[in-house]
Amino acid sequence: MLARLVRLAPLLRLSPGITCGLLCLVCLALASSNLVDAAGLLAGLQALFGAPDAGMDALVLHFSWWPRLMMSLLAGGGLALAGVLMQQVLRNPLAAPTTLGVASGANLALMATTLMAPGLLVVGREWVALLGGGLAMALVFALAWRRGLAPVVVVLGGLVVNLYLGALSIVLLLFHQQELKGLLIWGAGSLAQNDWGGVAFLAPRLALGALTAWLLLRPMAVLELDDASARSLGVSLRNLRLAGLGLAVFLTGCVVSVVGVIGFIGLAAPNIVRLAGARRLGPRLLWSTLLGALLLATTDQLLQRYSGQVSGLVPTGAVTATLGAPLLIWLIPRLKLRGDQPPAGATAPAGRHHAPLRLAGGLAIALASVTVLALLVGQTAGGWSWQSPADWDVLQWRLPRVLASAGCGVMLALAGTLIQRVTANPMASPEVLGISGGSAIALILAIFLLPSPDNLTLVGVGTLGAMASLAVLIIFNGRSGLLPERLLLTGVAITAAFDGVRATVLAGGDPRAQQVIAWLSGSTYYVDLTSGLVVLGLALLLALASSPLARWLDILPLGAATSRALGIDLNRSRLLLLLLVALLTATATLVVGPLSFVGLLAPHLARLLGFLRAGMHLLGSALTGALLMVLADWVGRQLLFPQEIPAGIVASLLGGAYFMWGLRRL
Amino acid sequence: MTLLTRSSPVRRPRPLLARHALLFALAMAMLLSAPLAMAASPRIATLDWTLAETLQALGTPPAAVAQIEAYHDWVGKPRLPDSVIDLGLRTQPNLELLADLDPDRILISPMFANLTPRLSRIAPVENFSLYSPGKNTWKEMRQLTRGVAAVVNRPGAAEQLIDTTEARIRELRQQLPDNIPPLLVVQFMDARHVRVFGDNGLYQAVMKRLGLENAWPGDTNAWGFSLVGLEALANLDARLVVVKPYPAGVRAALEQSGLWQGLKQQSQGEPLVLPPVWSFGALPSAQRFAEQLTTALETADAR
Repeated sequence: MLARLVRLAPLLRLSPGITCGLLCLVCLALASSNLVDAAGLLAGLQALFGAPDAGMDALVLHFSWWPRLMMSLLAGGGLALAGVLMQQVLRNPLAAPTTLGVASGANLALMATTLMAPGLLVVGREWVALLGGGLAMALVFALAWRRGLAPVVVVLGGLVVNLYLGALSIVLLLFHQQELKGLLIWGAGSLAQNDWGGVAFLAPRLALGALTAWLLLRPMAVLELDDASARSLGVSLRNLRLAGLGLAVFLTGCVVSVVGVIGFIGLAAPNIVRLAGARRLGPRLLWSTLLGALLLATTDQLLQRYSGQVSGLVPTGAVTATLGAPLLIWLIPRLKLRGDQPPAGATAPAGRHHAPLRLAGGLAIALASVTVLALLVGQTAGGWSWQSPADWDVLQWRLPRVLASAGCGVMLALAGTLIQRVTANPMASPEVLGISGGSAIALILAIFLLPSPDNLTLVGVGTLGAMASLAVLIIFNGRSGLLPERLLLTGVAITAAFDGVRATVLAGGDPRAQQVIAWLSGSTYYVDLTSGLVVLGLALLLALASSPLARWLDILPLGAATSRALGIDLNRSRLLLLLLVALLTATATLVVGPLSFVGLLAPHLARLLGFLRAGMHLLGSALTGALLMVLADWVGRQLLFPQEIPAGIVASLLGGAYFMWGLRRL
Repeated sequence: MTLLTRSSPVRRPRPLLARHALLFALAMAMLLSAPLAMAASPRIATLDWTLAETLQALGTPPAAVAQIEAYHDWVGKPRLPDSVIDLGLRTQPNLELLADLDPDRILISPMFANLTPRLSRIAPVENFSLYSPGKNTWKEMRQLTRGVAAVVNRPGAAEQLIDTTEARIRELRQQLPDNIPPLLVVQFMDARHVRVFGDNGLYQAVMKRLGLENAWPGDTNAWGFSLVGLEALANLDARLVVVKPYPAGVRAALEQSGLWQGLKQQSQGEPLVLPPVWSFGALPSAQRFAEQLTTALETADAR
């Protein structure tokens, strides 16, 4: 429906108003037909105003159907409003309401409270969630405070806080799946209601937020200028950003605490509105809020209409993400982005090391020692022990994992460095590009739909998924010359679809979900010796292959004009680099799962260490990635012995801690 | 019940403790009149709690089980003996530790089948399925009990376990009051969602043997439940049965919920609240659920 609607765009001269109007009609039609099916239009409308004595049907309508409709409108509007604010302040079309870690903070707070102080949940889970989200935001602000809340630092801080809290939640989830199964439903964003309490909580807060946004309208418009011009107008950028982001986080926190994580709306609604032609901040805020509300309500009405055909619960939040993804992918080529200008200050500045080669040597020595440690030291039933290098009985279990973690560390780090340098976007990582997301979707479907898939089938299916993602990336962006920003948006869309599939699967409560969590979070558990050797060999080969590309990587971030002037064929170089990134990511994902985040962290870590020129950056990242993964794998196996924490999680925790420390120092 | 669950003295010492072997053997010789049984029952490691529960009920507790602490929380009674070693996560048992323990057999369920190549490098692996869609659950439960008993060379114990459980459930069926309405068995996930149990699950299998009807008309997944919003329970002519635990804060939220109050009104009699039972369990869990359900129905009826 929506697709047809947007296809008419050029004929109708689609404006934000017309888009919202059409969507509103669709939503009304769906809602009233659902209402007629449930009880008849008149009885349905009566049920809105009470009448709990009029039988079960009216009761369900009054306490479930109507609050749900209201909730979907409120939540969608709130998230879209927060999304516009985020994108405005951070000057990044990839920014979403959850960018600053609000949802992951709320999630972790809820999980920890459930396990450690369930009494607090009786007081009110909304407050626990709000507090968690607030603390996560405070951490991000603390990290970026000294740099005046500069967008790049805020985005980086948000990313790493998101990762960190997400990794901690996965640890809790792995070990306490039974206790936390209810929270998985929350995590997937179910809009089901059974009284008016949620709406009563959310409505006044959103109204307050909208009012504040209106008051902030004029000063916020200044943020469209660059920093120097804004300052010359006498604006305190830091205070302005604090206000804007704080408001966005407050809105997000309120929504998330009531209905859980609803993906995509906050990212897509502002982008669609911009596509439809809203340029200035005021109209964008207004129309995005309306569009967000209508998008979520329409999706939810569609879902209620057709979910009867599947048994069990399909959470709305997960569905918006999954269904929204194709829409976003289709929209991206039509989106007016700043295009080929060099993005200003897109990478966090860091000091250059005076002798990068010596530093690399140090890293190599560290890597060698950690490898020896990981192979020979470990716990058994009898406690800590030191194995002799000849003891194959024990080494047969350890060697494949060390090989695979080193190999995957190298590959993900290289992929991350390539993609971050090409796109000049610090949020870019192989995970964001959607290639691992695609292969993960395929693998999850295979685990759940095939009776008992063996490992070879899984590898094949995963490869197919990765190739499908790559095809989508190239087909939909080929005509625009593989513009980095569009590639990333496409990747974000695929990743959003993956998040939706994952959340649905986890919320369903299938016991196999635990296996999925373990694999998703980056585990070397399933590696055997052959694949370990293959992975490491491939990693070294691809590392050699990428070193001649260093010149491109130094020049491409300078922008399209400069690159062309220096004789680089943009399309060809971008395609080649993209293929290389895809190959690196797909191989690593098939072994350690899609959520290791080494690809995001290692390039930043290398930069913080002082590897700045592309060639050195590649080398430094590869070494850092391998070091991080091998260390993480070993720590993960020992920390909670006999339980094993997946290497990807530990890598996020170790690397994230160092990263936060480095960010503070900037 | 107590007779079946008491840990049996036929456990062998672990080879690691070779120094104590002599001492142990002496103790065993004093305890056992038939030392032959020692050689007859192998050391078992299992990843699956249902199999662990069955092994324990057969009088041969496993030597190692995955996630013991969580086992005690969710499967509950009877506790595993303290000597049982924890293998780590069920989905990713610690292979180094398992290899070090060197069990004679490893028992798994189909959920862990993808680990078979790895595990079989350590010891022969046996795969037991329960709750397969389309199969008679109770029949499968008997088969599983016999199969596990065959692995530990105690076929007699299997027959005894099956007979006592079935006899006890027959007895309970006699005790049940007349005219019990169809039951709707749910477990709260949060204040807005429940798992409702139907075909292919433990609760359904037990209810069928007790001659009780399940009111859930919808489908269930391969694990015998369906996750639904509370509103899906409306307009069902049934008595609600809530299996604990309530997640934290849910009971307070339900007090406020207009929909839940309406559902309580609709229920044929006050909703019954049962203590937790491992919903993917085998015969011991089945008997426990039968006892609890019967007691709840009797007391509710007497009131």
